[in-house]
Amino acid sequence: MKKPSIPLGLVFSQSGPYAMMAGEMRKSALMAIDEINQSDQFDFVFAPRLRDPAGVVAAYHSACDELIRGEHVDHIVGCYTSASRKQVIPIVERTERLLWHPARYEGFESSDNVIYVGAAPNQHVVPLVLHMLDHISGEVFCIGSNYVWTWETNRVVREIVTSAGGRVLAERLLELGETAVDHIVKEIIERKPPVVFNTLVGESSYSFMRALHQAATRANLTIPMLSCSLCEPELKLIGSSASVGCITSSAYFESIDGAENRAFVARWKTRHGADSNLSVDALSTYVCVMLLARAIRRAGSADVGAVRRAAANHRYDSPQGPIWVDPDNNHCFLTPRLARSVPGCQFDIFWEADAPERPDPYLSNLDLAAIGTRPEKSNDTMTRQSTHLRVVK
Amino acid sequence: MTRPSPFSVRGRRALMVMRDEREISIVRRQLNRLGMTISEHDPNEASPPDEAVDVIVLDADTIPIKSDLAAAWKTRAPIVALIGTETPSRLKWLLDLQPASFLVKPLRSAGLYTALVVAFDSAQRRIDDAARIERLEDRIRSRRVVFAAVLQTMRGHGLSEADAFTLIRQTAMRHRTTVEQLSAEIVAIGGMPNRTRTA
Repeated sequence: MKKPSIPLGLVFSQSGPYAMMAGEMRKSALMAIDEINQSDQFDFVFAPRLRDPAGVVAAYHSACDELIRGEHVDHIVGCYTSASRKQVIPIVERTERLLWHPARYEGFESSDNVIYVGAAPNQHVVPLVLHMLDHISGEVFCIGSNYVWTWETNRVVREIVTSAGGRVLAERLLELGETAVDHIVKEIIERKPPVVFNTLVGESSYSFMRALHQAATRANLTIPMLSCSLCEPELKLIGSSASVGCITSSAYFESIDGAENRAFVARWKTRHGADSNLSVDALSTYVCVMLLARAIRRAGSADVGAVRRAAANHRYDSPQGPIWVDPDNNHCFLTPRLARSVPGCQFDIFWEADAPERPDPYLSNLDLAAIGTRPEKSNDTMTRQSTHLRVVK
Repeated sequence: MTRPSPFSVRGRRALMVMRDEREISIVRRQLNRLGMTISEHDPNEASPPDEAVDVIVLDADTIPIKSDLAAAWKTRAPIVALIGTETPSRLKWLLDLQPASFLVKPLRSAGLYTALVVAFDSAQRRIDDAARIERLEDRIRSRRVVFAAVLQTMRGHGLSEADAFTLIRQTAMRHRTTVEQLSAEIVAIGGMPNRTRTA
């Protein structure tokens, strides 16, 4: 018997400034759809309806409008930037559809018509800043791309760091896509900050990491760098030596050691080539499609209200570990992790949370007073266990 | 003293500083219905235009947070802020602009009139408050003079402090002047001025 077909909107930019990441996400969505369509565990198939807004913010609205009115989709997986998501929210709210959003973002949003599968700020920015305070320094040099992600991440860094008695030494911003980084590299080499917090995105970040690596090597300096967005395919683009040693916060690394993930990575490499790499955004897109399929199966319908209720608190043992939707805010419980980039375009995970962490998109539970009264930082990295961080054994 | 009612918006001049075409058309249509005159300004341009306007409708998301441009928008006409991003970093920037009212995006035709009325009303209140504060500050500055006049009157007329002040206040009322002005005269001429009654 032929299974009923459910149209599924996929909105990923195949050109424009973040086409590389969006391309990985699209590949991952299609892989999840193929797996579901071939599985006897699902009594329906997804019919992907692809749209390419080409990185143009306004095109996201028309793409989704077309999917909803023309293709009659109830569910859309897609968007990468907050600007594109904010284009889509009005139309999914007005027409009562669901957007399944894979990318981590800066928080301070909670739409009933979005399922936020990427990390909330308490799940990626906060653990990284706390690690920095505990093990590196409370004096930080911030550099980032001039847009909402950097502004908000820097605000969180500043609040936490100053609560702990540290300070932000500088906050340098580059326009999106800007690759002229020499003046900032020069400043960093001259000032020798104890740590650099990098929220640059795309080519700006790659240029900066290469230039800083080169300049620091020449000056015989080691300056630790932190990131909450770096991922495996980017390590390849940056190049072997400059990409090594960056301390990165993410809910997923390809190197997670678990049966689910090993099998997932093997399937990915079979499909996309042995030299291809996973990324948190690609994995998260796969998880979006799986969470949706499981919710449809549980609800017995693709109806938005029924799916939303079925997805709530329904645990999925995904490649990134257990994950489920918190119906309080439509974000996901997921496990924060910290890792160091190593040769071979991989990350060496050195910490993960004991259990999936409740999403806190408005950082309402961030207790700055408690951070201020924590014990003095020590340099015996990895041996001391703080109240917030646990070293992976 | 008559001042324009915040409810009458016809003929007032609005400056739109927005980028999103869909939202621009909503605001433009609504301002036209209200009979306001409209000018538009590209948020990417270096500085705000010089023309005098009564209200600025500003899409807060279009101007980078770390931008000197933001400072240029302060102290001008009341601002109706259009808000899309609710992150504290953006809201802090917005608070520094002291918007008179706001609307949350995506925009609808409903809401703009309320935002305009609130903006005009709060702008008028700000003007009134500023004038009142200036008057109060003047009075604080002249307290020393009033005190000197009271002392002088106490000595010259053999009065208690309360009676001396009452005399000055009543004389000021008769002369249709303020306590502060009369006190300055008392201090200047060394006694109560001998002015004919004007009433």
